[in-house]
Amino acid sequence: MTLKTQKVHSAAEMFAKEHLEGKMDRREFMTRVSALGVATATAYSLIGANPAEAAGHSVKPSMGGTLRIQQEVRALKDPRAFDWSQMANITRGICEYLIEYQRDGSFKGILLESWEANEDATQYTLNVRQGVKFNNGDDLTAEHVAANFVAWADKNVEGNSMASRVAALVDEETGMAREGAIEVVDDYTVRLNLTAPDITIVPGIADYPSAVQHKDMIGQDIAEHGIGTGAYKIESYDVGVKAVLVKNEDHDYWGETYLDRVEFIDLGTDPAAWVAGAEADEFDMVYESVGDFVSIFDSIGWNKSEVVTAATVVIRPNQKAEVDGMMPYADKRVRQAIMLAVDNNVPLELGIAGQGIVAENHHVAPVHPEYAELPPLQRDVEKARALMEEAGMMDFEHEIISIDDDYRRNTTDAVAAQLRDAGFKVKRTVIPGATFWNDWTKYPFSSTNWNHRELGVQILALAYKSGEAWNEAGFENAEFDALLAEAVAIADADARREVMAKLQAIMQDEGVTIQPYWRSLFRHYKDGIVNAEMHPKFEINVHNLGFA
Amino acid sequence: MGLFILKRLGLMLLTMLCLTFIVFWLTNLDAKLETLAKTQGSARMTDTEVQQWIANNGYDGSMIGRYGQWLGIVPGWTKEVRGEERGRCLEQGMTFADAPTYCGILQGDFGYSTVLRDDVSTIIKTRLTLTGKLMFWVMIVMVPMALIVGVLAGMREGSRTDRSLSVFSIVTTATPEYVSGVLFIFAVSAFGIKWLKGSAASAMDGLTFANFTLPVLTMALYGMGYIARMTRASMTEVMTAQYIRTARLKGVSFGNIVMKHALRNALIAPFTVIMLQFPWLLTGVVIVETLFNYKGFGWTLVQGASNNDIELLLSCSIVAVLVVLVTQLISDIGYVFLNPRIRVS
Amino acid sequence: MEPLSTAQIIWSMFIQFMPVWVALIITFAVSITFKRKLGLYGKLFDSPVGMVGLFLVLFWVFTAFLADMIATFHPIEDVISSMRRKAPGTAIPNPDDFGYSYFLLGGDILGRDVFSRMVMGSREVLKIAPAATLFAFMAGIILGLPAGYFAGKLDTILSFIANLVLSFPVILLFFLLVTPEIVNSGIPRYMAGLLFLFPIIFLVILLNSRYYTQPPLRNMLVGTVVVLGGWVYLGLAWDADPLGMITMQGNQLIVFISVVFVNSPTVFRIVRGMVLDIQTRDYVAAAQTRGEGPWYIMLWEILPNARGPLLVDFCLRIGYTTILLGTLGFFGLGVSPESSDWGSTINAGKGQISFAAHIAVPPAIALMTLVLGLNLLADGLREESLKD
Repeated sequence: MTLKTQKVHSAAEMFAKEHLEGKMDRREFMTRVSALGVATATAYSLIGANPAEAAGHSVKPSMGGTLRIQQEVRALKDPRAFDWSQMANITRGICEYLIEYQRDGSFKGILLESWEANEDATQYTLNVRQGVKFNNGDDLTAEHVAANFVAWADKNVEGNSMASRVAALVDEETGMAREGAIEVVDDYTVRLNLTAPDITIVPGIADYPSAVQHKDMIGQDIAEHGIGTGAYKIESYDVGVKAVLVKNEDHDYWGETYLDRVEFIDLGTDPAAWVAGAEADEFDMVYESVGDFVSIFDSIGWNKSEVVTAATVVIRPNQKAEVDGMMPYADKRVRQAIMLAVDNNVPLELGIAGQGIVAENHHVAPVHPEYAELPPLQRDVEKARALMEEAGMMDFEHEIISIDDDYRRNTTDAVAAQLRDAGFKVKRTVIPGATFWNDWTKYPFSSTNWNHRELGVQILALAYKSGEAWNEAGFENAEFDALLAEAVAIADADARREVMAKLQAIMQDEGVTIQPYWRSLFRHYKDGIVNAEMHPKFEINVHNLGFA
Repeated sequence: MGLFILKRLGLMLLTMLCLTFIVFWLTNLDAKLETLAKTQGSARMTDTEVQQWIANNGYDGSMIGRYGQWLGIVPGWTKEVRGEERGRCLEQGMTFADAPTYCGILQGDFGYSTVLRDDVSTIIKTRLTLTGKLMFWVMIVMVPMALIVGVLAGMREGSRTDRSLSVFSIVTTATPEYVSGVLFIFAVSAFGIKWLKGSAASAMDGLTFANFTLPVLTMALYGMGYIARMTRASMTEVMTAQYIRTARLKGVSFGNIVMKHALRNALIAPFTVIMLQFPWLLTGVVIVETLFNYKGFGWTLVQGASNNDIELLLSCSIVAVLVVLVTQLISDIGYVFLNPRIRVS
Repeated sequence: MEPLSTAQIIWSMFIQFMPVWVALIITFAVSITFKRKLGLYGKLFDSPVGMVGLFLVLFWVFTAFLADMIATFHPIEDVISSMRRKAPGTAIPNPDDFGYSYFLLGGDILGRDVFSRMVMGSREVLKIAPAATLFAFMAGIILGLPAGYFAGKLDTILSFIANLVLSFPVILLFFLLVTPEIVNSGIPRYMAGLLFLFPIIFLVILLNSRYYTQPPLRNMLVGTVVVLGGWVYLGLAWDADPLGMITMQGNQLIVFISVVFVNSPTVFRIVRGMVLDIQTRDYVAAAQTRGEGPWYIMLWEILPNARGPLLVDFCLRIGYTTILLGTLGFFGLGVSPESSDWGSTINAGKGQISFAAHIAVPPAIALMTLVLGLNLLADGLREESLKD
């Protein structure tokens, strides 16, 4: 390993000190230092821990076997435009990733041997793993990796969500990769030169749309060309029904893998159908077990795996939305009244059966390294009514929109019930899944689910910065924007926490959104299956799965 | 007779043309196209991206024109998007030069499903086969059961057998599939019945008694009541007919009367009813396939509708309408053959 | 507090339904006493099947009317989070805040009272199903009468359209029509604008053909119908009630319209067939020789003689419409999410059926009994009307 001689990033040493002083838990520590390019083993050695202690790691499965996974089988497309982690779970067997986000919060190099960031996080050096071949015989080289970065930075491609993840490489004018941003140093080294300090680029390229493609296949559907570095190939792919991966015997895979065959079986979106399928022995493992069905799966004797995440639901008024010729939620008092009328414990209980922890309406989670603890929120119906009356909006009927599914709908119903309880007029509307997303950022008052992000600033920058495409709350606050810009440039989480405290306080004070809880995610599987634990971002890596 | 059938076929074509146009219109409204763009592109696309997607994928021309393209009487659209040649009739990697000008249903091309990512004709073929199996078993269970119940009830009007069987058939007609199916699934899991399964997903690979009984039963029960009542009505009518009375007076045994004389005439009406039942079964198919996760035609229809998959939906409606019209035709013709008193002029 | 035992639950429910029992007893006592003077309705009490049917139907009709007295909690607003999915008969933690201390049939997924939701659900169901069926009948009659009576081109065109709608698979039509996009496009408004005209036209023609010989009376009656009907029409179809009292929400409207739309062609066919049959009768010929207008003959000579079969079909069709509405609820189409109508509650409870059956079973039984009652009632009516 080259790592031993490598100089460890100075911030990493500082984080290690903090961890040892008890200021930071291990998961936070791992997320932060590994994002800086410090290898997991090195990170553990910094804090004097033994990597084997880390949870969920490396039980070596035996060779062979067929595993059946219950998971939606969605139509594939250009991986950059992937919008469901389910798509990537299947293609991960063919197209692998540079870096993988681990259950313990660390980042692990897959197609990268290692990576390091410079002191102010404006330059990243990526060392490509040697000896990796594509299944058409070509070697994986720095050229391929660079080509992928160029493709990710291309804003002009419909639905390419990678462009915002590598925004620091993009030239604002052309919407393409900036000249000199991506540098091929030698056959196995790529250097990224960013416009501004960015600590989110590593989490960004570990995310599911960043599957590494052969440079000639970029922009195409993996199901059609089937070229990648992974050990598997697609045997069949019936959207909505079933997808089958089998070991690619003609390909010399660089790593180790166990299963001969993996079947993904689509049983739709109704969890009751999954239970029926499990009882009928139609699969061995679920993608996710939700709500009440967690205990049902427990009761049929399957193993449970849980992970606490920053996945959540926000029920937000849109400050810019017009209803009947006025903008009801432009008034801060109305928003504050809504926040005050809701006890976040109730949606937690009714929406997700208490499977999670209560949140504080500012969309920064305790699992985020830069989370600042603020005084707990209190429900105050009296004050809420007073504020609403002051705003003269007691008679206004709030229409709260949600998607038609299990937990999001129930959570929204629970919020609606509390608002009614406080004496506000509320009407609920449910929109089917396919149509809901048509106007999701424009609904005057609606709920949206947000997935886990590694860092608190990632979420704030995506969803609450003025003018952002996904700013569904219509929130515009110059002070907030300025503080956020400041926070994104601070690599040190402690220093960042001070700024975060202000950001979180603004979120709460402005009544931007009800954000009631952080979800715990669950997955169940039969006895004897290993490395199938739930991942904070739902990832399944078929290379690691197997039977004990 | 030939002319009659020919006329009916003409009417059928006209009906299908009208209906497909309505489906086409409903699926091509601006808002529906936006849904399509979002499900195909990315759920969280911006408005300009949506417009771009619609234009790039040929959904921007006039609607009549696109309907003509689908029929195959208007040349398919062609477009150059950032150097790549795209078009309705272009397969992956084709250029304008080697693609045909027309590609609609008249050319035998039913199009491509945007949600299931396959040729519509392939999808319809696989899924319809699966539903065909379901329907076959439903018929095998439902028809004899309904006829037996109906004949037994109608044999002696007003008897206790009649009363109890009639109530039974009314109860089944009052229990829609979504109620009985849910109750069946509940019973299977509540009583821990292992020899029946509450999910029929595995039936797609191989039918077994365990995985296919519940869906078949759910559908058969609801459809059965109606046919049974029709059979009963027709049977009671026949049993009071003059020739039956004569036969009884002549001393022919009751069993013989029912089997030899009454049955044939009593089954004419139920025959047409059974035929006309087919279209109604379609709703049942959709419910049962959704409930039991059996991915046949009903499931395809739901997928197409909820994702606004235009060409898939059009073909689905063609199939559904064909079923309706053909069964109507068969029931009319069959009625003529079974009933010697009626002649088609 | 201790949870109630099964017997206590049944007894408490019996008590809650007391207003319904009283109403039923009065209705049956009065009807049976005067049954000879009540025509076809009175004859129902000669048929046990008809009586059972009537009992079941009236049970739910009275429940719908008296729901406020029967329901123990508010079906939507009384959310008690600790009562989520609790078994039938569980006591609530804070009885002082409410008028009742038990969830008789348990709590649903959001901690609402299943019993109250089922009771109030009858109101939702009986608000739409009979009205939609009635509208379908008016449209079917107003088109079916002339189609059968005049025959010719009119008949050909109308029959073609009716067959067109009939060959459209119901479920596909619902999936296409009952979507937010269609609601926003305004199509339901136009369809409502057309379909809701039929009842007004029906009544106007009905009264005009009868009273055109007495202009003052005619003008008054027709005028009243036009003003009242027009008012309701503007409110329901165009959401343009000048007084702002009558409105219908977009998604409710589309459900209503779709149900009317799929039902009216069948009614059309039945009416048309019956006109063809009755047309040949002597009294029709007599009216024609008297020089009566065609609409008078159709509405005042033919229609009353077709009432038996139409009434039977009306009962059956309400049942069928109830099932259809449930189907919509089952697919989550066009329903208001918190609505306590039976279809939606069955749908909401079906996922929980394996561990909390008490959520889906009560509305399922309610739906079954209502439809069963309507079917039995239709059977009774058919039997009795055949005896004429």
